[in-house]
Amino acid sequence: MAAGFASKWSLVGRSLLGGLNNNLSSLLGTSNGITCSHSLSQQQRTFIQMRTVLKVVDNSGAKKVMCIQALKGKKGARLGDTIVASVKEAHPNGKVKKGKVVYGVVVRAAMQRGRCDGSEVKFDDNAVVLVDKQGQPIGTRVFGPVPHELRKKKHVKILTLAGHIA
Amino acid sequence: MRIEKCWFCSSTIYPGHGIQFVRNDAKIFRFCRSKCHKNFKMKRNPRKVKWTKAYRRLHGKDMTQDSTFEFERKRNRPERYDRNVTENTLKAIKTIDKVRSRREAKHIERRKKGKKAQQMREAVKELEQSISLVKAPSVLKEDPSLTLPKIKVKVSQALAENQPMEE
Repeated sequence: MAAGFASKWSLVGRSLLGGLNNNLSSLLGTSNGITCSHSLSQQQRTFIQMRTVLKVVDNSGAKKVMCIQALKGKKGARLGDTIVASVKEAHPNGKVKKGKVVYGVVVRAAMQRGRCDGSEVKFDDNAVVLVDKQGQPIGTRVFGPVPHELRKKKHVKILTLAGHIA
Repeated sequence: MRIEKCWFCSSTIYPGHGIQFVRNDAKIFRFCRSKCHKNFKMKRNPRKVKWTKAYRRLHGKDMTQDSTFEFERKRNRPERYDRNVTENTLKAIKTIDKVRSRREAKHIERRKKGKKAQQMREAVKELEQSISLVKAPSVLKEDPSLTLPKIKVKVSQALAENQPMEE
């Protein structure tokens, strides 16, 4: 319970700052008191909001997609939520063309999501699977690991197409 | 429910603790606390970080091979619930833990005790064999006080060898 509260508080804190500027390496640097001698700056991971570019991990034809709207959530979308996005980059011959407005389900998010047993999961990147209005995936394959949070959100089809379930 | 091991420090992760990081090749890294997570993000090798179990095992500071470790192997087959089996397992866990911690303590004690006896033996042997590098053997024969006095060493073979040599 305490862990849940702590994570919520930290999420709120991050979102407030995330709205202004996502890269908080300078803030962390001063608070640590160490000069950034190591190459990796510690980033604060936040929600998926407007203008967030996500990777498309199915074979629908799109490659990169920019979020226009997170349906549900004032601060943005998280792991397992649906978003409205615009296709920014696509394969030349695919079902989806550049500039099209599509729906997508977030299957990997760099921001950690709390699980019901109290632990937290996070992935390496932000990835999305394109779906239609009914929630059925447009593509026929899904690449990379997907979380089993999708089962609760009733995206069973994506889970069956997935190679790994994290 | 499963009790996991931290990828970095090899400590146990109880439910509700820690962060799980899933890499894009579907490898899952579990961390017990942010200390281990941050070290991982810095790309540090746990085998080189002194306080981790991986370092200690690699450098022989902690016990590596023991029969008590066999009990903790990961089993992926779910067991059918049997009350007696569960009861006995819980009792066994306690005793195995006690035995293992006792053996680990012994290992560390043995390591700390040092190798005084062995070093003495080696020193004696070296002195007898290589004293000629320091003093000429003719000088030694004239003045036997320059040789090593007879110390009661447990290795009786060395003494038996020495006596015919010295005379």
